[in-house]
Amino acid sequence: MSRPSVPRRSVLRGALGVGALAVGAGPLAACAPGSTGSGPRKLTATSSASAKGEITIWSRSGDLYKVFDAAIDTFRRAHPHVTVHHQAVDIDSKLANTLITGADLPDGSFWDDAKIGSQAEHLYDLTDLIAPYRKDTSPYKLSVNTVDGRIYGVPWDLDPGLLWYREDLLEDAGVDPAGLATYDDLLDAARALKERNPKAGPIHLEKDPFLGQLWLEMLANQQGTSLADAKGALRLDSEEYRTILTWVRSAVHEKLVTHTEYLKQGDLAALEDGRQALVPWATWWSFAPQQLLKKTRGKWRVTRLPAWTAGGARSGAMGGSSFIIPAKAKNPELAWLLYEFLCFKQPGYSAVYGPGSVYPGGLNTSVPSYTPARKADKPLFKPVDALGGQDLWKVAVDAAATIPAAAPIPAWWGKSIDYLGNNLQRLMEGSMTPDDVIDDSTRKIQRNLVDRA
Amino acid sequence: MTPATLTPPRNEEHTAPAPLRTRRRRLSLTPYVFVAPFYVVFAAFGLYPLVFALQLSFTNWKGAGEARFIGLDNYTYLLTSPEFWASLGNSAVMWLLIVPVQIVGGLAAAVLLANARLRLRGMFRVAFIAPFVTPLVAMAQVWIVVFDSDYGLVNHLLRLVGLPGVDWLTSTTWAKPTLALLFLWKTTGFAVIILLAGLQAVPSDVYEAAALDGASRRRQFWSLTLPLVRRSIAFLIVVQTLAVFQMFAEPFVVTQGGPYGSTTTGGLYLYNHITASDLGTGAANSFLLVLLVFALSLLSVRLLRSRDE
Repeated sequence: MSRPSVPRRSVLRGALGVGALAVGAGPLAACAPGSTGSGPRKLTATSSASAKGEITIWSRSGDLYKVFDAAIDTFRRAHPHVTVHHQAVDIDSKLANTLITGADLPDGSFWDDAKIGSQAEHLYDLTDLIAPYRKDTSPYKLSVNTVDGRIYGVPWDLDPGLLWYREDLLEDAGVDPAGLATYDDLLDAARALKERNPKAGPIHLEKDPFLGQLWLEMLANQQGTSLADAKGALRLDSEEYRTILTWVRSAVHEKLVTHTEYLKQGDLAALEDGRQALVPWATWWSFAPQQLLKKTRGKWRVTRLPAWTAGGARSGAMGGSSFIIPAKAKNPELAWLLYEFLCFKQPGYSAVYGPGSVYPGGLNTSVPSYTPARKADKPLFKPVDALGGQDLWKVAVDAAATIPAAAPIPAWWGKSIDYLGNNLQRLMEGSMTPDDVIDDSTRKIQRNLVDRA
Repeated sequence: MTPATLTPPRNEEHTAPAPLRTRRRRLSLTPYVFVAPFYVVFAAFGLYPLVFALQLSFTNWKGAGEARFIGLDNYTYLLTSPEFWASLGNSAVMWLLIVPVQIVGGLAAAVLLANARLRLRGMFRVAFIAPFVTPLVAMAQVWIVVFDSDYGLVNHLLRLVGLPGVDWLTSTTWAKPTLALLFLWKTTGFAVIILLAGLQAVPSDVYEAAALDGASRRRQFWSLTLPLVRRSIAFLIVVQTLAVFQMFAEPFVVTQGGPYGSTTTGGLYLYNHITASDLGTGAANSFLLVLLVFALSLLSVRLLRSRDE
């Protein structure tokens, strides 16, 4: 890539002329773009008892693959005539291309909620199959899997936003965590912490543009809104977003924040030495005290997010994944059987979230989106030692129950980070005002993404 | 010439040419059979994608569904887009940071390596060429570690001598120079090879004659060496200009085009359209880049030719 060869240069020189000649000839109907596209198809269930055949399933590589592998073993025992080829794949780089080309497709795959909307026409319409579970599934997860009123993903995990805090530092500063009911209370707590430690920037603000925007969307979801409405129209220029951005600016102006990248070395150092003590983040931040923090392990605790207005929702979703079945899958019925088992059947979701060989205490970085799997008195994972033995399950499922519904995530959401994600960083650095962020991001997203969608 | 030389051979059966039709068939088919594989491969992997991309650039295809013909809309969108011009501006700044430095530095290194009296000459040559043959992604990963703001080696050394750390890859001021340094590290070995070959092609008696005429070393360099390796330098300028304006892997791996798009080069901006499934705009962007690179190459070749004349 970095050094083209001379023949390549020659090819480039002749490109326009050759291309123009060939286009002029016009024999390209057979290779016209879009001629191989496929429309959405509906899927019907197969009888569980007669299920027989082979399927290939893709999961994200890493620990999650091992967790699903163990859970799929449980499925294999329940359905001995179904052979599951479970593969660890770099989903982000491979799945979209595979769906478009239609070559070597799996029968089912794990995928981020934010990406489902952009590829709906390559996926099976699962609306009818999910209908029996619909009323017991998180409204947020249903909405992000819905495109034009049809559901294209099997809702898997729900990632409620929570407030992580250093119990010892809050005690020293005389802050009662139970009193952190609103975001104004959170600023007051940060001021109290800073009084005790002038070097502190108690509240974490995210420096990575993608995660920063994901965090912003969590706070917006908490107020029942999101970047686009159900029709894909932009609604960044709203009171809800202005409230969040104004709050961020106040925190920045008062130097109540540490602006670092998620769990990079600078972030970890601030978490360990007491500069950061308040982290409003998704439930998957639990990874930090369990795996990364050494000195402060056991000192962290968690509660629900503060509300934006008294009595408002105490959580919003931050991230999340579902399962999709490609429209050209060879055995889609069997893939549905597997995902139905993992998401909606007790042995399945227990095998995913419950204690196992990969996570002896259970998978505690998210909670199921299926309400019957999310009972406060029937925890799927154990209390966490790194949180001083706190029952993370109860906090997370209580918060999950308050997450408002959302609009479908538009296909262009990922690209909007170039505008909104970057401008949010400028706000955190003090070089933009909330109105600047809203105006500039709205204009650019509208021109470059919405108008061209 | 005597009449005897015009006498036809007696044994015409053995020396007469084959019947015309047979000979024509043999002569006409055989070479085409031999060169056919090239044309087949070129048509499949060169011409077809090229034509397909050109056709794509006039549509709004998103990677799925129907492709609608939208005329020049993708081109007008790009040509009126601040982000498109910003990406070209980033490439131009990278060019300024890379090409002049590489030509001067590469020439200095080549002159040193051409000196037969230089000790450990072989080792130095290996040192220059090693980065060029190392996979770029591996080097880019090293760059990320070495220039990390928090735990990078460079900032560690700066702090050891009492200087503050620098946001090498996360500030708009430093990200481009840091990427340019990676590009220089990676490709200067190639420049040194080309310039070394140019230097070694200069006959030694030219220098001997100049020395006899009393020309100093410095005078020999400016009046002999530089003019005689001018073609190698021009070749490098053309090739590296192409490479810089197509630069993709370095910003893709190291900075992902950030911070705030400050390292989004022309190549990366094009790729961003592709990953956003905006394939029509991506294709149009690629042809605009082709035009730009073609113009720059033509300009370089013209400049070289005018100097020759």
